[in-house]
Amino acid sequence: MKHRGRLVALAAGTCVLSIYPAFADEYHLTVLRDALLFGLFAVSLDFFWGSTGILSFGHATFFGLGGYVMTLVTMTSGLPAPSVLGLFAAVGAPAALAAIVGYFLLFGGVRGSFFTIVTLALSVIAQQLVISWSSVTGGDTGLLGVPPLALGGYEISGAMATYIVVAVTLIVVLLALRALEQSRWGKILIAIGDNEVRAAALGHNAPARLTLTFVISAAVAGFAGGLYVAIAGVVAPDLIGLLLSTEVIVWVAIGGRGTLLGPVVGAVLVQRAQQEISSMNPSLWPLILGCTFVIIVFVAPDGVMSIAERSRMLLRRRSA
Amino acid sequence: MSEVLLEMKGVSVKFGGLTALSDIDYSITSRSLACIIGPNGAGKSTFLNVLTGTLRPSIGSVAFRGRDIGGLALHRISRLGIARKFQIPSVFPSLSVAENMDVARWGAAREPDETDVLEMVGLSARRDVKAADLSHGEKQWLEIGMAIAASPKLLLLDEPTAGMTSQETQATAALLHRLKRHTAIIAVEHDISFVRALDTDTLVLHQGRLFRRGPFSEIEADEAVRDVYLGRR
Amino acid sequence: MEAAVTTLLNALTLIGILSLVGLGLTISFGLMNVTNLAHGEFLTVGAYAVYFTQSFGGSYWLGLVTAPLAAAIVGCALEWLILRHLYEKPIAAILATWGASLVIQQSLELVFGLGGKPVLPPVQGALDLSVAAYPAYRILLICIAAIALGLVLVLVRRTSFGLDIRTVIQNRTMAEAVGINTRRVYAIAFAFGAGVAGLAGALVSPLTTVLPQMGVGYLANAFFVVIVGGAGSVAGLIAGSTFIGGLTSVLNYQMSPSLVQAIVLLVAILIVRVRPNGLLSTAGALR
Ligand SMILES: Nc1ncnc2c1ncn2[C@@H]1O[C@H](COP(=O)(O)OP(=O)(O)OP(=O)(O)O)[C@@H](O)[C@H]1O
Ligand SMILES: [Mg+2]
Repeated sequence: MKHRGRLVALAAGTCVLSIYPAFADEYHLTVLRDALLFGLFAVSLDFFWGSTGILSFGHATFFGLGGYVMTLVTMTSGLPAPSVLGLFAAVGAPAALAAIVGYFLLFGGVRGSFFTIVTLALSVIAQQLVISWSSVTGGDTGLLGVPPLALGGYEISGAMATYIVVAVTLIVVLLALRALEQSRWGKILIAIGDNEVRAAALGHNAPARLTLTFVISAAVAGFAGGLYVAIAGVVAPDLIGLLLSTEVIVWVAIGGRGTLLGPVVGAVLVQRAQQEISSMNPSLWPLILGCTFVIIVFVAPDGVMSIAERSRMLLRRRSA
Repeated sequence: MSEVLLEMKGVSVKFGGLTALSDIDYSITSRSLACIIGPNGAGKSTFLNVLTGTLRPSIGSVAFRGRDIGGLALHRISRLGIARKFQIPSVFPSLSVAENMDVARWGAAREPDETDVLEMVGLSARRDVKAADLSHGEKQWLEIGMAIAASPKLLLLDEPTAGMTSQETQATAALLHRLKRHTAIIAVEHDISFVRALDTDTLVLHQGRLFRRGPFSEIEADEAVRDVYLGRR
Repeated sequence: MEAAVTTLLNALTLIGILSLVGLGLTISFGLMNVTNLAHGEFLTVGAYAVYFTQSFGGSYWLGLVTAPLAAAIVGCALEWLILRHLYEKPIAAILATWGASLVIQQSLELVFGLGGKPVLPPVQGALDLSVAAYPAYRILLICIAAIALGLVLVLVRRTSFGLDIRTVIQNRTMAEAVGINTRRVYAIAFAFGAGVAGLAGALVSPLTTVLPQMGVGYLANAFFVVIVGGAGSVAGLIAGSTFIGGLTSVLNYQMSPSLVQAIVLLVAILIVRVRPNGLLSTAGALR
């Protein structure tokens, strides 16, 4: 029942995304495109946080790493198919880092708040390294002129083309992760989240499964980061830092943890609100963001969409 | 005919100054049924914890089918074919009854066919209910079902009948006698009527020691065992 | 020789600050099991309190007294409004305190305006230590931090309130059974930790420019001080601070601060992996 609801929501979302270009001008199309890229990033976090219950407070490390790696590869001259290579690297490097971190922490029994704090530190470390290694990363200002995506000698630039690439990628990733969550893999992850020792006593290798989930999540984040820099044309330290790491948490929390589609909606809505509010008064946004964190926890711990679901249940109960 | 399945040699477990198990020698053959009794804190759960890898013996060795399993990770030991029902039911509350059973089956080294274990434990009508919504008794049965689902070679049951009615207790005893044809079973139990219904090889643990071992009829007649239970020793 | 003495004194300055900041985290993270990401802001509030006092012509010393009070009040408010409801929900507490941290930062900016604020030290110039000259204020800072830590130790070990805290921490239900108001003890302990962090903020304020975001820089370090040292004991706290502060000071002598921060955190993570219960634990790695 609930699963069918989500599939319907995904279909509806797909419709909206395919109709939107007919009504929007180029500017709005690019705005939505960028929001969807961050939505893809939010999906990556939700895949890990939602299915394991473990919160990564430094997920921008993987998004930013993907971005920087993509930049470095595509800006190296003389490589064949730089975009393809770049995207492979943007997926591979974060996945490898996540494997190391996961082996280190998850196999070491680090869970809960400890995991959150260590990943928070990871984000701080990444940002500091990027800033201090300026000969490669461009330091504080980052790097300009990241080449656009090119596939088979065909350059993908312009609002429409990039929008389509992003929208299609997002839908494919959503479907794939959803299938994974609904498979045996997802069920076992839920079991591990409920009671890890019990799952292990039934023969499931919990650390291995958690680590692999973390790796998949980081790979998707890195992919989103790689796409983002190629489309935006710039890379900068704020793509890898603590602030983005926490903003993505808000997107997921608002959209509804564990729903995959919700975080995309959360990302789009929150970024829209951010633009509106920042255009009124730039220093207001962090204040509102902070309040949002607190309010979510107390008012809508399952995301804003769950409020709709809850009120519908309430109505049904009343009419029954 | 039946080989030695499990062998414990000189196993001791210490928690700081407290000796929870001391110098246990024990072995069980495949397809047999044994029962462990003993007063509270005698070391019964600790005994099972050593077998499942939850605890590592301070001294001594545990071999399963000739292989030393001391210090092996929990899931590895489980995959060798040892399943356990915990004393406190610890099913997965977010999953449905059927999914709980699936997760149990999927953990086995060679995945068993989907037999109707739910039928056996009387939960087939509740298969789509979330485990969180089960009553305490139903959770007990689900725990037992999950332990059976993996078709283990050794089945460990920690107080399977706690909180059951006397009818259910008898049904459980009958179930264990049926299962004994496929697997070795060690059941830890307080309920003497259940142990009597099992009427099998019985171990008495007392203050971490293997105090007596023998058929239940002998154990029941033993004065010293009564003294232990009445706290006279 | 001169470099060694300077590095040692730098290390002592940092160790003093980190110990004071870490104390509150040892209490909240180590003992109450709640992750407070707004802890850095107590330091910031303390620093602003000194700036505020001085802007009215008050002395640094008056600021040093108001800072812990201001931070304790903010801590009390945070505990009462938010954390109290979230002791059983670890992730919710993490999210809510991060939100609170942003709110406090931004409120400070709205109230005091953009940009860094200067704070004047109570003493100027350098002290000649025969082998090296060292800023007089930093020496003062080391002394104040040492005295404050000594007082904290006495408070925790020797007073009835310290006993209450330790009882509650060991067993909350038991403490309730013997008639300790655990809620109040939690609130007071939390506010106390916040106040001490505020004191740290007052102490660092003359050394840097006072900014709303200054606390965030201490957050990760303070957590690792507590984790590396072994959460929940004053001895562990000092061990952790000595390790992180010492390493930072030694490395600072050779490379850029960003790189140092990155390396220190990486080493701290390695230690957490090898000794999950902290440097001082005798239990060792759990497997
Ligand atoms: N993890 C542990 N740490 C410290 N002591 C423990 C631990 N587990 C068990 N003990 C102690 O070891 C002794 C044996 O405990 P165990 O749980 O094996 O008893 P039991 O026979 O199962 O009792 P019950 O009938 O109450 O279940 C008890 O004194 C118990 O307090
Ligand atoms: Mg027991």
